Amino acid sequence: MFSGNVKTAINSLRSAKWRSLLTMLGIIIGISSVVTVVSLGEGLKQQVVGQINSLGSDVLTVRPGKLVSDGSAKEKLNLLAFLSTSTLSEQDVTSISKLPSVGAVVPIDFVTNSASNGGQRLDNVSVLGTSSELNDILRPKMDFGGFFTKDNAGDNVAVIGAAVATQLFGGVNPIGHSVNVLGQDFVVRGAINPSAGGLISAQQTDLNYTVFLPFEPAKALVDGKVNISQILIRAKTGVNPDAAVADVQKTLLQNRSGTEDFTVLKQDQLLELTGGVVNTATGFVTGLAAVALLVGGIGIMDIMLVSVSERTREIGIRKAIGATNRQILSQFLTEGLALTIGGGFIGIIVSLLIFVLLRLYTGLHPVINAPVMILAVVVSIVVGIIFSVAPALKAARKDPIVALRGE
Amino acid sequence: MALIELQEVSKIFGFGEATTLALDEINLSVEKGEFLAIMGPSGCGKTTLMNIIGLLDRPSHGKYLLEGRDSSRLRAGRQAKLRRDRIGFVFQFYNLLPRLNVLDNVALPLAYRGMTPVRRAKRASDILELIGLRDREYFLPKHLSGGQTQRVAIARALINNPSIIIADEPTGNLDSHDSKVVMELFADLHRSGHTILMVTHNPELTRYASRVIYMRDGMVVEEESTSIGAIAKGALRTYLRKRKTTEEDVLAGVSALLKDVPGKAMTSEPKAKPKSKSKKRSRRALRKARR
Ligand SMILES: Nc1ncnc2c1ncn2[C@@H]1O[C@H](COP(=O)(O)OP(=O)(O)O)[C@@H](O)[C@H]1O
Ligand SMILES: [Mg+2]
Repeated sequence: MFSGNVKTAINSLRSAKWRSLLTMLGIIIGISSVVTVVSLGEGLKQQVVGQINSLGSDVLTVRPGKLVSDGSAKEKLNLLAFLSTSTLSEQDVTSISKLPSVGAVVPIDFVTNSASNGGQRLDNVSVLGTSSELNDILRPKMDFGGFFTKDNAGDNVAVIGAAVATQLFGGVNPIGHSVNVLGQDFVVRGAINPSAGGLISAQQTDLNYTVFLPFEPAKALVDGKVNISQILIRAKTGVNPDAAVADVQKTLLQNRSGTEDFTVLKQDQLLELTGGVVNTATGFVTGLAAVALLVGGIGIMDIMLVSVSERTREIGIRKAIGATNRQILSQFLTEGLALTIGGGFIGIIVSLLIFVLLRLYTGLHPVINAPVMILAVVVSIVVGIIFSVAPALKAARKDPIVALRGE
Repeated sequence: MALIELQEVSKIFGFGEATTLALDEINLSVEKGEFLAIMGPSGCGKTTLMNIIGLLDRPSHGKYLLEGRDSSRLRAGRQAKLRRDRIGFVFQFYNLLPRLNVLDNVALPLAYRGMTPVRRAKRASDILELIGLRDREYFLPKHLSGGQTQRVAIARALINNPSIIIADEPTGNLDSHDSKVVMELFADLHRSGHTILMVTHNPELTRYASRVIYMRDGMVVEEESTSIGAIAKGALRTYLRKRKTTEEDVLAGVSALLKDVPGKAMTSEPKAKPKSKSKKRSRRALRKARR
C-alpha cells in the first residue's frame, strides 16, 4: 500500500469540509443510534443482573398480565401491563401468604409518581406501598435511619431513595422531615444508599427514585383502590423455588377460577425477559441504523464518483509518473475509509453526548463497553470498503491518455 | 543496442467510421545520450508517439523495444512500474498537483516506489537544490512563475533517475525568457548524459537537439542530425520562408511549422494565419486549431 495514502486522503477530504461532513451524516446517525441503543440495553441488563445478585435467586415475582410462555409477544405485553389496572389483588397477597412453601410475601402497590417536601415537587418518582418484609428481600443499605418495621404498618412513615433525598432535602439528614404524597405528610424514617441502585422489576423502577410507604396508609391515600404492580415472594428456606412457583401458580388460578391473567417468574426468567426486551429494542434500532448506514454508504459512493470525475486529470498525472492501477485504487479506498471511519468516530462522540443528556434528564444509565465501540469501528470500515469499491475501481481504470488530454 | 527501437509501430484510435490512424508504421531508433527534437504540425501524432515510447500507451501494431526488451505488450502494472523507473514526463501544462507543495510534487514518484516520507523529502530536496529551486520547496505551484513551475516538473521527471526524459512541448506555454531558462536546463541534462525526447513547434529550440525528426500524418517524413548550437536546416527552411510570423509567435511556439513541414510541404497552404498582436490571442487560436 502506498504510504502517503492516509495523508493524501485526509488532505483531499479537508479541502471539501462541508461536503465531507454531509457525506458522513448517514454514517454518523447510523453509528450513534446503534451505540446509544446497545449501551442502553447493556445498562438495563446490568441493572437487572445487579438486582438478581442483591435479591438472591430464590425470590419469585408475580406480575399482572399473562405472558405467552415463549416468543417475542410476551415482552410487549409485559411492558404495557403497568399502564393498565393490575389484575393482582390484595386477596392474592393474603392467599399466597398462607402457602407453606412460601416465606415472605411483599406486595408492591404503585401509588403515584410524584412527591414533594411541601414546596418542591418531584414528578419522576415511584411512590410504592409495600410491607416491612421488603427489607428482608431487598436488604438495602441505608444512608440514614432504617426501613420501617411491622410496628409501623399503620403509621404515616416513608423510606426514600438517595436521589429523592438529595433532591428534596439537599443532602442533609432527611430523618424526621416529611414527604408529602397526594396531600398527606409522611415522616421520613430512612434514606437508602445510592449504591443500593438496581431495579425491583423489569419496569425500570430505580430505587434511587423511589418512595416506600407502608401498605395500609398507602392504600388509604387512594381510597382502597390498590394497584399491585407486582408481588415479591421469597421461598421458604429449603424449599425448591420451582415447587414454590407451582404452589403460587395454583393458588392464584384458584382465586380467579382458572383465568390465567398473571405470571410467576423466577429471577433468572426475569433476566431472560429483560434480555428479550433489550434484544427486541436493539434489533429494531439496528434495523433503522442499517438503513441509515445504507443511505450513508450510497451517499459516500455518489460523492466519491463525482470526485473521481472531477479529479480525472490528477489521476492521469499520477499514472503518468508511475502510479499503478492498484495504487490509485488504494488511494481512493483510503479516502472512502477515511470518510466512514471519521463518520464512525463522530457517531461515537454524538452518542457520548446523548449519554450525558440521558443521565442528566432521565433515570437511564447507558453503559459503554468495548465490544460496542469495536462494533462501531468495524461497521464503519466495512461500509467504507463496500461503498468505495465502485468509485475506486472507476478511478483505477481511467485511461491515463484520455485523462491527460482532458484540459 | 539502441535505447529505444520502434519497428513499424502503428496506432489506431477509435472504431469503424471514427477511426484515426495516429501513427503509420513508424520506424525509429534512439541511442542513449541523444537529444531528439520532434517537429510536425498539430495532430500529426507527436504526442501519441511520446505516449507509446513513454509506456502510457501501447502500439496497435508493430514492436517497441526499450533497452532491447519488447515492451509493446506489457501488462498495465508492469508498464506502470517501468514508466515510474525509466521514464520522466514533462508536459506543456506542467501537470503538477495543485494541492501539493513543490517538495511533495517532486517527491510523488518516489512514493509510488514505496520510499519512506523522510527519504523522499531528502531526495526531492537535493534535486530542487540542483535546479536552483530549493528555496521554493514549500510553495504551492500556483505561487510560482511559469518557468519555475516547469523546472519543478522537470525535477519531478528526474527524481527516479530515468533513462528517458520525454518533454511534450515543454516551452509551449512559456515566454521567451522562461523558455530559455528551461531549455538551458535540458541542455545541462543532455550534457550530463541524459537521453531527451522533446516535441516542439519552435525551430529555435532545435539548436539544443542532436537530431531532429519531422512528422506528418503519423509518419516520420524527414530526419536530420544537427550540431548542437545550430538551428536545424529543415526547421530553418520553413522558418525563413514563413518570415511573416512574428518573433512573439515563434517564441510562443506558433511557427510556420504548425501548418507546414520541410521536404513534403502541403500543397494547399491555408492562408488564414492568426496575425494576432498579442501572444495570448495567438496561443488561444493555436489551441483552437488543434481541436
Ligand atoms: N485518445 C485518443 N482518441 C482518439 N483519437 C486520438 C487520441 N489521441 C490522439 N488522437 C488523434 O490522433 C491524432 C494524433 O494526435 P496527437 O498525437 O495528439 O497529435 P500531436 O501531438 O502531433 O498534435 C490526432 O488526429 C488526434 O485527434
Ligand atoms: Mg501533442
